[in-house]
Amino acid sequence: MPLEPPRNAEYLIAAYVVTTVILLGYWLRLWRKSRKA
Amino acid sequence: MPEAIRLALAIAAKDIRAELRSRTALVSALVFAALVLVIFNFARDPTALSATDLAPSALWVTFALASMVALNRAFTIERENGALDGLLVAPVSREAIFVGKLLANLAFVGTVELVTLPLFTLFFNVSLWAVLPGVLGVAALATVGFVAVGTIFSAMAVRTRFAELMLPVLLLPFMVPPLLGAVQVTTRLLAGRPLSEMLGWLRLLALYDVVFVTLCTLVFSAVVDE
Amino acid sequence: MSAPVISLEVARRITHRGLALSAAALLGLALVYVLALGYTPVEARQGLAQKIFYLHVPAAWSALLAFSLVGFASALYLWLHDPRLDRFAAASAEVGVAFSAVMLTTGPIWAKPIWGTWWTWDARLTLTLFLFFLFVGYLVLRAAVQDPSERARFSAVVGILGMLLVPFIHLSVYLFRTLHPQPIVLKPSAPSLPPEMLRTLLISFAVFTLLYVGFVTARYGLALAEEARDAA
Repeated sequence: MPLEPPRNAEYLIAAYVVTTVILLGYWLRLWRKSRKA
Repeated sequence: MPEAIRLALAIAAKDIRAELRSRTALVSALVFAALVLVIFNFARDPTALSATDLAPSALWVTFALASMVALNRAFTIERENGALDGLLVAPVSREAIFVGKLLANLAFVGTVELVTLPLFTLFFNVSLWAVLPGVLGVAALATVGFVAVGTIFSAMAVRTRFAELMLPVLLLPFMVPPLLGAVQVTTRLLAGRPLSEMLGWLRLLALYDVVFVTLCTLVFSAVVDE
Repeated sequence: MSAPVISLEVARRITHRGLALSAAALLGLALVYVLALGYTPVEARQGLAQKIFYLHVPAAWSALLAFSLVGFASALYLWLHDPRLDRFAAASAEVGVAFSAVMLTTGPIWAKPIWGTWWTWDARLTLTLFLFFLFVGYLVLRAAVQDPSERARFSAVVGILGMLLVPFIHLSVYLFRTLHPQPIVLKPSAPSLPPEMLRTLLISFAVFTLLYVGFVTARYGLALAEEARDAA
């Protein structure tokens, strides 16, 4: 077991960005539809 | 109860007679199955993968795709000339109609499978004689379940837009357990493994058949009745 | 059954309530990000990528919650024929697809540095992938049927059959996999989770559940508004 944790911050950033895009994107979609309604 | 069975058989017989009269769907499904088998053989790197290794998967993917073609046709005939409406106003229980359609579809898919099998032994150079009863048994066991689901989905798909696309999109996830089981059992049969190694899969296939045939029979009225 | 008159005003109010609730939940999600990145310790074996876990697991929870509720609402619909159940099932399926998109993207992003591969045909992964396909199919079917009553009945049938398919897919993938070597899984073991990690995870679960409720409410309100406009 290495003492130094592996460096993989880019994966962390990618996952958080993807989650934000999907959930915020879905919210915006619902919001846009509610404007039209 | 015997009355319901008699009606179901009558409906199945009507469908089979209609199919035998035109034979277009049967012939096209058979040609389609043969073509898939041929393509499978060409899409294989012969130096990397021997035909026998690929054989069970090729057989079952072919069966699955050919069944899809066959099932697509099942309710299209009924829709033309409003034949299904006529059937629905007749004093026949929905369960009997479903079982009748299921039997007709099974006869249809079963015929396609039976004709594909010799072509398969020919193209893939597999000798099936020794394990033929086993292969036929597992084919029957796997086919009943997904044809039951396919029968109900094809009854829905004909009433949607893009009917030909709708059926595969809905049905393919339901083909996963029977297909996986059938491939595993076929592989073991061809390798001459003992029955005990297939028992888990056979149980899964049988359970799938019981659950989905029962459930589909019960919910069929929700598909056809307003 | 004669359709009761739906007030556009009520539909709009439901939509706005759902949007407000999910907006609050999205702020909660920002809090989860802060906690996950600033408050929780860095795991020794997995490094920073372990923090994906705070999003992936709650997203999977919300997706599975969404899909199981579609199954139950479908079964109840065929029994009671209440249009509210159908509207709820449709909303839950769509929201479930959004959450499974999060689950299916964050999963491989975590698996690549930890397992060394984006994807394995492990039982749980395969199951969730097929659930996703099943519900995409469900939504495609809904979009392809015009008549509302027919659409409700057809999708209820798919919902029920889908719920029963889940144990079969799980069982078959399990049987399939038992013959093959399992990938080396460095699972963050739950009982020994440090309190900071556990607290963050629990907050994230609450946020994702709230987000589910908010999204479904908004989506339900939108469907109601559409029906009100069609009726008018």
